[in-house]
Amino acid sequence: MNSDSLWIGGLCRLYGLLLYAYPAGFRREYGRPMQQLFRDRCRDVSRGSGRASALWFALSTISDWVRTAVRERASAAQAAAEKRAPRSSATEWAGTILIYLFATTTLVQAYVVPTGSMEGNLLIGDHILVDRLAYSDPGPLGRRILPYRDIQRGDIAAFLYPEDVRTTYVKRIIGLPGDRIHFENGTVFRNGRRLAEPYTQHIASFPDAYRDNFPRPPEPFTTPRGRDMLEHHVCDGEVIVPPGMLFALGDNRDNSADSRYWGFVPRSYVVGKPVLVYWSYDAPTADFESWNLRHVVDVAQHFFTRTRWNRMLSVPRSQEAQ
Amino acid sequence: MPKAPSSNELLPLTPPVFHILLALAHEDRHGYGIMQDVAQQTEGSLQLGPGTLYGCLKRMLAAGMVEECDERPDPSLDDERRRYYRMTPLGKKLVRAEAQRLAGAVTVAMTRLAGESA
Repeated sequence: MNSDSLWIGGLCRLYGLLLYAYPAGFRREYGRPMQQLFRDRCRDVSRGSGRASALWFALSTISDWVRTAVRERASAAQAAAEKRAPRSSATEWAGTILIYLFATTTLVQAYVVPTGSMEGNLLIGDHILVDRLAYSDPGPLGRRILPYRDIQRGDIAAFLYPEDVRTTYVKRIIGLPGDRIHFENGTVFRNGRRLAEPYTQHIASFPDAYRDNFPRPPEPFTTPRGRDMLEHHVCDGEVIVPPGMLFALGDNRDNSADSRYWGFVPRSYVVGKPVLVYWSYDAPTADFESWNLRHVVDVAQHFFTRTRWNRMLSVPRSQEAQ
Repeated sequence: MPKAPSSNELLPLTPPVFHILLALAHEDRHGYGIMQDVAQQTEGSLQLGPGTLYGCLKRMLAAGMVEECDERPDPSLDDERRRYYRMTPLGKKLVRAEAQRLAGAVTVAMTRLAGESA
């Protein structure tokens, strides 16, 4: 073995490394003959016209290498794409559906406001997006790195109706655990302080002692949970919000079935924070409570006239009572 | 394996493909043999690098212009086994058609350029 063959052997090993730029399939099929050819050529050239020419050949091979590696990569990628094509639409759809399921169950959820209990802020027929992360338990890490903030007084929250968790309610959170709540002539007092609530609407057609001077002894439409609240959590004429519970009221204060009637909202029933009205359609409550064909026809006929365009993309505001 | 394109789609041939087919016109050759012959045909103006040569061979195999015949040592080089290639009937047809096309082009060029220089 002379110095030439050693030298050529080194170049060949170098070229062998360069071959890794080619796609694996091409390299497996042609890598060995390519290396062989490279070596044959180097050997012939150096035998005929010396080492410098062999080196020159090796350098010129580099331009061949760059061009053809790119070309083979491109053709391999194209072949792979063609091979995948029939399956890809199915997998893409599966991915989309998975993301959709994930997003709609953990990130945002769409709801319709079916009643006027929050009127003033949310109207019957407001289609809202609820941010499900806003009030969820952030966990030890999320607490530090994500903009979580626990529910505060004055926040609007969507939650499962405690008497029937199939229904979601949207109300304003008035009382946090430990707060003492009572009403005097329709005005809320929290911890002894009178609340000025600019967001409320009072359109009482008749006075109602239970509604306006809560808490009072149960009425016929006080639910079992409401009765339990009145029985166990009233002290000196005030309701005291127990740990892990919230006291929620509708802004349409005189016409709202809220914590006065059905008791506290367990903190864990809170679904999220309404963040956006994405569509608002003027129709009666019944149409939003259950699916009916008449409503579909109605929407089709009156979409443009009954959509409340000024409400679209509006943001329900939290507001701390003064 | 992609469907082999029809012979019309394969024309005109690129210069490397044309010269590779010419190199295989009378005998089976291995890669380095093809490379040497192509350089000889073109008086050194077309030096096929390894990537270009085997990239072309890959496409020519897929199109059915050439086939692999066997692997054997080339006695003029060393005792290492080399893969030999052979032109198929389709390859022969194509190289003829390409040569004809080039001959036609050359005739036209000669006429026009002769007229121009006169």
